[in-house]
Amino acid sequence: MKNPVDDRLDALRGSAKRLDYNARSLAALENNPRCTLRALLDASGSDKAAIATHIGHPPSFGQSSFAITRGNAFEAMVKDNGCAELLRVLRETLELTLPEVGYEDLNDVGGDGRSKQRHERTEEVLLRAARGEGDATLFDHPMLRLLIGGHKVYLEPDLVALRIDGRFHVVEIKSFPIIDDQADSTQVRAATTQACAYIIALRDLLGRAGIGEEAVSDTIVLVAPKDFTNRPTGAFVDARKQVAALTRQLSRIERIGDLVDLLPEDLTFDLDPTPDKNKQPRRPAEELTEALDQVLVTYRPDCLNHCEMAFYCRSRARAEASLDVLGPTVREQFGGIDTTTMVMGLARGELTPSEDQVEIAAALRHAARLRAELEDLGGAA
Amino acid sequence: MSDPLDALEKSIGTLRRAIRDASAAGDTERAGELRMQLRRAERAWDALIDADEPAAAPPRPAPEAAPAARGAQLPAREHVHRALMLLGTPAAPKLIVGVHEAFFPGELSASKLSSLRRDEERSYRSSPGARPYYLCPALAHDLLTPVRALITISTWTLEQRIIGPLSPRVDFLTSAISIAEAVHTAAESTPDGPSPEALRLLWRFAVNIPDAMPRNASGHEGALEPQQVIGAAQAELDVHTGTDRATRAAAARRARKSLGDDGQLFGAPLQGVTHLRSARA
Repeated sequence: MKNPVDDRLDALRGSAKRLDYNARSLAALENNPRCTLRALLDASGSDKAAIATHIGHPPSFGQSSFAITRGNAFEAMVKDNGCAELLRVLRETLELTLPEVGYEDLNDVGGDGRSKQRHERTEEVLLRAARGEGDATLFDHPMLRLLIGGHKVYLEPDLVALRIDGRFHVVEIKSFPIIDDQADSTQVRAATTQACAYIIALRDLLGRAGIGEEAVSDTIVLVAPKDFTNRPTGAFVDARKQVAALTRQLSRIERIGDLVDLLPEDLTFDLDPTPDKNKQPRRPAEELTEALDQVLVTYRPDCLNHCEMAFYCRSRARAEASLDVLGPTVREQFGGIDTTTMVMGLARGELTPSEDQVEIAAALRHAARLRAELEDLGGAA
Repeated sequence: MSDPLDALEKSIGTLRRAIRDASAAGDTERAGELRMQLRRAERAWDALIDADEPAAAPPRPAPEAAPAARGAQLPAREHVHRALMLLGTPAAPKLIVGVHEAFFPGELSASKLSSLRRDEERSYRSSPGARPYYLCPALAHDLLTPVRALITISTWTLEQRIIGPLSPRVDFLTSAISIAEAVHTAAESTPDGPSPEALRLLWRFAVNIPDAMPRNASGHEGALEPQQVIGAAQAELDVHTGTDRATRAAAARRARKSLGDDGQLFGAPLQGVTHLRSARA
C-alpha cells in the first residue's frame, strides 16, 4: 500500500532503482539536519553520487579500498582466536567477569548470509539473551533492522556485548588510533553517530518484545589501536546527545511529506538512465541542475566530508555569494544577513540598513574603519 | 621394489582393463564399482610408496623433541593435521598456519587451506572412509551446521568438534596450554630452544589471559614463562569447562540422533536449517 507522499518521492527519484538508507547515510542525517535537498534525495532513495557526477560535480571522496582493507584486517585481528584481544579489552572497559565469554556468531545462519534470515536469527538470539537465557555475552555482527519512512533498513554493528547485569553495549571496532587516550574527534564523532543508529535499532528490536530502552546502554565502546601499535584498546564514548538528535531526525523523516508539499508538482531528479547495464544518464545536465536549483540547500564546509552533493552545493553557495561558504561560525556572527555582497555593502555604508540590521551595520562600519586605519598605519611604516 | 607393490600394480592394470570393458558394454554401475576399487588400489599404492620413504613420518599425536627438517615435504593436509594435533582443538586457518610456522618445517599458506576443505569433503563423499582421517569443519552446537573457518579432524570425537557459546574461549585456552607445552618441550630438549615464531605465538596468547604474563613488566618475551601461562590458562579454563562440556555433549547427542555419518563430519545440510529451527521453537 502506497501513500501519496511515497508516490511523490518515487517521482522525484524517477526510473532508477531505489537506494536504501544505510548506517552512513543515517549518520549524515545527524550532521546537517537542516538541508532540504539532502533530506529529499535520501528519502526518495536517489543516487546522489550519480546525480552529482552528471551535473559536473563528481564527489571526490569515498572510502579508499586501503582503508577498508585495513579496517577489516584490524577487526579480524581483534576477533581472532575466540575474540581473545577483544575479551581482554572488554574485561578492562566493561569489567566483564571471567565467566562472561560466551560468543554467538551472527554473520550467517548455517551458511545462509541473507539479511532477512540473519535478522530473524539475531532477533531470536538477542531476545533470548535479554531474558537471561543462554550463555552468550558477545554477539558478532548481529543484523538489526529499522523501518525508516516505511522502508526496511538493515544495519550491522561490529559487535554487541551483554553484561551480566543485563545491559547491551554497542561495540564499534575502528582502525584509527587512540594516542595518549586521545583520538581524532571527527572520526570518533562519525563512529559514534554510526553506533547511534545501532542503538536505536537495537532498542527498537527489544521494544517490540516489550523490553524497555534502558536495556541498551547510551554509551558505546570504541575499540581501536592503542598509540602507534596494532594492539587494541577500548574507550567509552557517551552517545546520549547524538542518540537523541538522530531519534529526532528519524521522526522527521516520517514528516517528509511537509517538505514534499512545498515543491513544484512536476519536479524530478530523474537521470533517465538507459535501460542497458551501462545506465548512462540521458537527461540533459542543465535541466537536472535547474531542478536541483529549485530546492533549498544548506551548505556547510563540513558537508565536503560526508555528502556526495557537497561540491555542487558549494559552487551554488559561491555563485550566490552566500555566507554559508565561510562556515557556521562566521555565519552566526552575521545574523539576518545572507550574502557577502550585503556585508560589504553595509560595511562601506553603500547600503541603508533595515531596522533589525542597524546594530550589525554599526559593528561592520566600525570594523571597516579599524581596518582602514590599520592599512594607513601599514602604509606609513 | 617389494612384492606388495608389484601385486598392486598388477591389480591396478587388471582393474583398468575391466573398467574399459564395462564402459564399452555400457554397464555404468559395474564401471563405477570398479572405479572405486581402482581408486582404493591406487591409494594403497601411494601409501606403500610413502611408507618406503623414510622422510614421510606418520602423523604423530604431539610433536616430540625436535620436529627438525623431518616431513618438510609432506602434503598440505598432513601439515594441517600435525598442527591441529598439536593444538588439540578446532582452529582457524590463520592459527593453523601460525602453529605450523612456529613448530614445523615446510611451506603452508592460508589460501591453500580453503581449497583443501572442499577437497576433503569431495573425497569423503566419493569414497567414505578411504583415508585414515579427514579435515572437516567444526559444527555449530544449535544448528549443527558447519562453523565458518574452523577446521577439525574427523578422528576427534563429536564433542571435540562441536562449538558452543563458550567453546571459542575454551579452545583458545586449551590451545594456549598446548602451545606453552610445546614451547617448554622445545626449550628442554633442543640446543637452540624454541623458535622466535613459537615464542611470539605464545606471547600473543599469553597477553590475553589474565595473570599469564610475568609480573615484572620490564621483562619482555624472554621472560615469558610457559609454566605460568599453563597455570593461568588452566585457572580460567576451570571456570568455563563444566558448562561448555555440557553444551557440547548435549549437541553431540542430538547430532548422533539426527545426522548420518557424513552429517556428523561435515555438518547438517543447509536445507535442514529451517526445519531444525521450527522444531526447536
